Amino acid sequence: MKAELINKYIQYVLDHNQSPKSVYLFAKAADIEEKEFYKHFSSLQMLEAAIYKQWFTDAFSECTQSEPWQSYTTREKALAVFYTFIEHAKNHRSFAVYLKKRDLIKLPKWPTYLNELRNEFKVLMIPIVNEALDTKEVEARRFIDGKYIDALWGNFLFVLHFWLNDESPGFEKTDEAIERSINLAFDLMGKSPLDAALNFGKFLFQNR
Amino acid sequence: MEQNSIPSSKVERAMRFVKTGAQIGGNYIKHYSKKIVDPSLTKDQLHEDNATDVYNALSELKGSALKVAQMLSMEKNVLPRQYTNKFQMAQYSAPPLSGPLIVQTFVKSFGKSPQQLFDTFEMKASNAASIGQVHKATLGDKNLAVKIQYPGVAESIKSDLKIVKPIAFRLLDMNEKELDKYIKEVESKLIEETDYELEFKRSIEISNQCKQIPNLKFTNYYKEFSSTRVLTMDWLSGMHMEEFLKTNPSQEVRDSIGQAMWDFYDVQVHQLKAVHADPHPGNFLMNADGSLGVIDFGCVKEIPEDFYFNYFALLVPEIMKNEASIQYIMMQQQIINASDSSQAQKIITDAFVKMTNLLRTPFDFDVFDFGNNAYIDEIYALGEEVSKMDELKKSKEGRGSQHALYINRTYFGLYSMLNVLQAKIKTGVRDWRQPLIEFHLKRAN
Repeated sequence: MKAELINKYIQYVLDHNQSPKSVYLFAKAADIEEKEFYKHFSSLQMLEAAIYKQWFTDAFSECTQSEPWQSYTTREKALAVFYTFIEHAKNHRSFAVYLKKRDLIKLPKWPTYLNELRNEFKVLMIPIVNEALDTKEVEARRFIDGKYIDALWGNFLFVLHFWLNDESPGFEKTDEAIERSINLAFDLMGKSPLDAALNFGKFLFQNR
Repeated sequence: MEQNSIPSSKVERAMRFVKTGAQIGGNYIKHYSKKIVDPSLTKDQLHEDNATDVYNALSELKGSALKVAQMLSMEKNVLPRQYTNKFQMAQYSAPPLSGPLIVQTFVKSFGKSPQQLFDTFEMKASNAASIGQVHKATLGDKNLAVKIQYPGVAESIKSDLKIVKPIAFRLLDMNEKELDKYIKEVESKLIEETDYELEFKRSIEISNQCKQIPNLKFTNYYKEFSSTRVLTMDWLSGMHMEEFLKTNPSQEVRDSIGQAMWDFYDVQVHQLKAVHADPHPGNFLMNADGSLGVIDFGCVKEIPEDFYFNYFALLVPEIMKNEASIQYIMMQQQIINASDSSQAQKIITDAFVKMTNLLRTPFDFDVFDFGNNAYIDEIYALGEEVSKMDELKKSKEGRGSQHALYINRTYFGLYSMLNVLQAKIKTGVRDWRQPLIEFHLKRAN
């Protein structure tokens, strides 16, 4: 029923080119009882927030079930999740573009309809970040490594924003944006000359 | 990930060029300051310094910019021979695609991942193609080669060419009109190369019409597994030239491979009037049984009729004996212009005739030994001489038809590959001479 409500909601927005003004109006148009709605969502905002979350959950489970997933490095896992998510979002691009126009994304903030997605993103992606720390693909840095997940979230918002504005055929540019931004993110999180410089600085400071 | 080693963003690429530009500026300053001390100094050292810097910068750059430089430098002989050779061998490789991007490309093209489409699919690329990479796959009992293109290549070609233009202008000693003409031609060809559907169509045309040539092998393409960015074909056996030569093949095997290559070009130029304009060692696979496999039909140059009759007439001695015909061809090809003084016309014509006679040499023998280094060196030397001629340099207008760029490159590439292969080729007189002779006789009367 939850999925059905989501579909009906998307349908409503696409048909009317605006979101329903109240649960009552939505329920009427969708031909359901209001109390049926409240069984699943407490408000229209909550329903909206569930939509993006659902896309992400679907994309993530599709990734983990795909054949090469086990052989991927964490960098590749992140890439796969991003690509698959965009692939899922594409099915509802008109709806996504409508939301973007209604509530502008102003990085690094995000509109309320992405709140649930953000929680889900953290839950599912933190294990990948931890795996990357274990395999030393990214460097453990005190105070900073706890923020890696936020960096990835920022990266995700950037990609989503990029895709919503992308007008290249087949969204080829979004593919490039994903490839390059994830590589940059992992390169920055990985061991870099900066670590050596900091180490050296620490050594000098301690041995004055 | 190897990706770090290739400067990939536009800004980074531009920075490379700026650096090179600065170095070259430095070379000029060095040159002129030395010249104050020693007035007898020639520009040779300067040219060599420049060539080294250009080569270093471009070989680091890869991608389409390298290709442009390759073509222009071959055409204009700006690089000393050692570099030109290295340039020719250099595989221009795009940055490698990540595993997920490969899957993504497949999903977009076919709605399925490569693992779902094929029985096996190697995620690690087996080698780099000009603008993508090649993966091995199997389906049933078939071994397949799957070529995948990097996203946004066409876009990056445009921006690369914009960046390369001012530098090329400075380095290649070309005037602007001439350079524009070339850059346009190069751009359109490079963009065609990114269109795998076009490559698919052409490969079928060319391989159908060349299949009667002995010892020449083509690969089968699979339409159901090909799209604008994925191209699937049978895996051809064989080694690239460099590897193959290490196996020390006998003279007969070399000759047989070389002959297949020669005949392949002969048929394309004179019958199909469309030529695989990228005789690059990476596009051929050689086998110990003396057969030659052709892969990659990305760069196909169609030869316009009027250009054909003028350009290839130069290869027929009967036509070249006639002064009036030469004059006509030179004018038609825009090698000399009506605005040139008669003295300049004569000097340019003489140099040009000398050059064509040299390029024609293999056609004057029944069997020609391309292993003859002296001959290849002579071509280089003369090319250099011509490129330094004041009459050509001072000219404000472009010279030579832009079609000649590809055809020259094709022959140049073919000759140097046959040279490396040390093959003896039956060149001899072929049927195509007759129509050319008749065309020019008719025109003269």
